[in-house]
Amino acid sequence: MTLSSDIVTMLAAMTEASYLFIAAAGLTLVFGAMRIINIAHGSFYMYGALILTSVVGGVAGGRFWLGLLAAPLALVGIGAGVEIGVLRRIYKRDHLVQLVATYALFLIFADIALHVWGSQPRSVNPPSPLDGSVVIGSGKFPSYDLFAIGAAVVVGAALWALLQRTALGWRIRAAAEDPEILAVSGTNVPLLSTSVFMIGAALAGFAGALAAPLESVAPGLDATIVVSAFIVAVIGGLGSVVGAALAAIIISLFDTVGVIWVPQWSSAFIYIAMIAVLALRPWGLLGVAER
Amino acid sequence: MTLGTAARRGAIPAAVLVVLLVLPALLGATSLLDIQSAIALALFACATNLLVGYGGLVSFGQAAFYGTGAYTVALMWMHWQTSFWLGFAAAPFVGAIAALLVGLVALRTRRLYFALLTLAFSQLFYVIALQQEKFTGGANGVFGEILPGFLNGMNNAYYFTLGVVVVALLALWWITRSPFGMTLRAIRENRERAEALGVNVFGHQLLAFVFAGVFCALAGTLAVVHDSSANPNILNWTESGYPVFMAVIGGQYLFLGPVVGAFIYEQGRDIVLANSNDYQLVFGLLLLAVVLFAPDGVLGMVVRAGQWLGRRRGGSPLSPRDGDDVASDDRAGSETTVALR
Repeated sequence: MTLSSDIVTMLAAMTEASYLFIAAAGLTLVFGAMRIINIAHGSFYMYGALILTSVVGGVAGGRFWLGLLAAPLALVGIGAGVEIGVLRRIYKRDHLVQLVATYALFLIFADIALHVWGSQPRSVNPPSPLDGSVVIGSGKFPSYDLFAIGAAVVVGAALWALLQRTALGWRIRAAAEDPEILAVSGTNVPLLSTSVFMIGAALAGFAGALAAPLESVAPGLDATIVVSAFIVAVIGGLGSVVGAALAAIIISLFDTVGVIWVPQWSSAFIYIAMIAVLALRPWGLLGVAER
Repeated sequence: MTLGTAARRGAIPAAVLVVLLVLPALLGATSLLDIQSAIALALFACATNLLVGYGGLVSFGQAAFYGTGAYTVALMWMHWQTSFWLGFAAAPFVGAIAALLVGLVALRTRRLYFALLTLAFSQLFYVIALQQEKFTGGANGVFGEILPGFLNGMNNAYYFTLGVVVVALLALWWITRSPFGMTLRAIRENRERAEALGVNVFGHQLLAFVFAGVFCALAGTLAVVHDSSANPNILNWTESGYPVFMAVIGGQYLFLGPVVGAFIYEQGRDIVLANSNDYQLVFGLLLLAVVLFAPDGVLGMVVRAGQWLGRRRGGSPLSPRDGDDVASDDRAGSETTVALR
C-alpha cells in the first residue's frame, strides 16, 4: 500500500464517520437532556434521506441544496409532533415503556414511508460542483466525501458552541444534571425538552440527507443506522457529543480497515467493540457514570 | 389463595388448552400452521418475560438464543447428519451455555445499558450467522429435510409443538413460583434492599438469564419444526423486540400475559395482512396505545375488569383484599400494576 492510498482509505473512513457522528450526536444529545433512547431516531435519519431524494427528484435532478435544507427543517416539525404527542407522556415511566413506545413509532414511521416513497431503492448524485474527485498524490478521492467530512466538522463545532456558549446550551446541560432545580429556577422545562428533541431530530434528518448521495436509500435503512448510531453514542458515552465524535472516528476506522484485513469478520467488529467498551467501562469513553 | 380461586384460575387456561387440542379437527392446514406458530412464539415470549417482567431486565437480545436453538438443530443436521431429536435435545444446553457467556458480560450493566448491550450481542450472533457462510449457510441459512418423517405430518407437528410448550410453560411457571422466582421479583422491586439482605443479586440474575436462554432456545427448535429451516433473520435485533412486545401487549406482570400477546400478534397479523400491507402500522399503533393507556397489557385489563366486577358484587375471592391474588403494587414511577403471579 502506498502512502496516498492509505490517505484515501483514511478519508473514506472519515466520510463514514461524518454522517455517523451527526446521527449519533442527535441521539446522544436527546439522551443527555432527557434520559431517553429514541429508536425512532433511525426513522428520522431515513426520512431525511427520503425527503432529500424527493426534493432532488430523480438520480440526476437539481435542487440538492434545497433538499439538504428541507430535510432537517421537515424533521424539526416531525420531531416536535413526536415529542409533544408521545414522549411527554413517558418521561417518568421506566425504560421498558420508553423503548417500546419509540419502537412503536419506528414501526409506524416505517409503514408510512412505504406508502409515501415505496419500497424501491432511491439514489441521488452529488450536486454539480461536488460530483468530481480531487487528486491526492497518486490517488483520487470524491469531492462530495470531502464536503461531508467538512459538514460534520461544522456541525460538531456548532453543537459544541451551542452547548458551551449559549444560554440554551447551559439550560440543556442543567436539564441533564437536575431538571427539577432548573424548573423552579424559572426555566420552562417542557419547552426545553421539545427544543432539544427538535434539534436531535433535525440532526438525524441532516445526517440522512447528507448521506443520501453516498448510499442507496431503501426500507431497512432506519434499522441499520439506528443500531450504528446507538453503538457510536454508547461507546462515546451517552450524553457526550465529543465522545460521539471520537467513537464515530474509531468505529469507522475499524470498519474500513476490517473490511480490508479480515473481511470474514468485518461486520462483527463494531459489535465486539461495543461489548468490550460496555463491559469494561459501561458509561463509555467520555461519558459520566450514572448515579 | 383458596381452593376455589385456584380451580377458577386454572379453569380458563385448561379450557383454552382443550380448545387447542381439538383445533386440528376444525381448522385447515394454513390456519393450523398459524396457531402452531403462535404457540411456539408464546414460549419465546414467556421465556423472555422471565427477564422483562419478573426480573425487570429488559433484554433486547433474546433472538440470539432463539436463533441458537434453531441453528443448533439445523447445523448439527447439516454438518454431522444427526437426527432432529439429538439436535432438539442438545439445543437447550447450547442455549444455556450461550446465555451464561452473554449474561456474564451483559449483567455487568444496568437498565438501558443492559438493553443496548443485549441488542449488540444479538447483532453479533446475526452477523456471524450471515458472514460465516461456510459454517452457517450465510444469508440463505440452512434448509432441507431437517425434520424426521414423524414431524412432517401436519397434526403431529402441531401436537408436538403444543406438548413441548405446555411442559415448558409449566416448568417456567414453577420457576417463577419458587423461592428463586420470588427473590428475582424482590430484586426487581428493590435491588439495594435485596442486596442488603444478603441476596446474591448477580447470581440470581445470571441464573434467570440462563433459564431464559434455555427456554428461548427450546422455542427456537420449534421454529425449525414450523419452517423446516433456520435463517439469519431470526437473529436480527428487530426480531429480539417481538417477544418483548408480546409480553407488553399481553401484560408483562401476569404469567400468561405473553401468551395472550403472542396470539394477538400472530393472529392479528394474519387478519391485518388479509386486508392490507399495513401490519407494521397497526401493530405500532396497538403497541403505542398499550404502553400509553394500558400498562398492564390486555390480560391485565381483563383481570382488572374482573376485579372491578368482583368488587361490585362484593366479597368475591378476586377482590383486592385477598392479598395473594391482586396486591396492586406501587412500583417505581408510581405505576400501579397488577401484581405478578
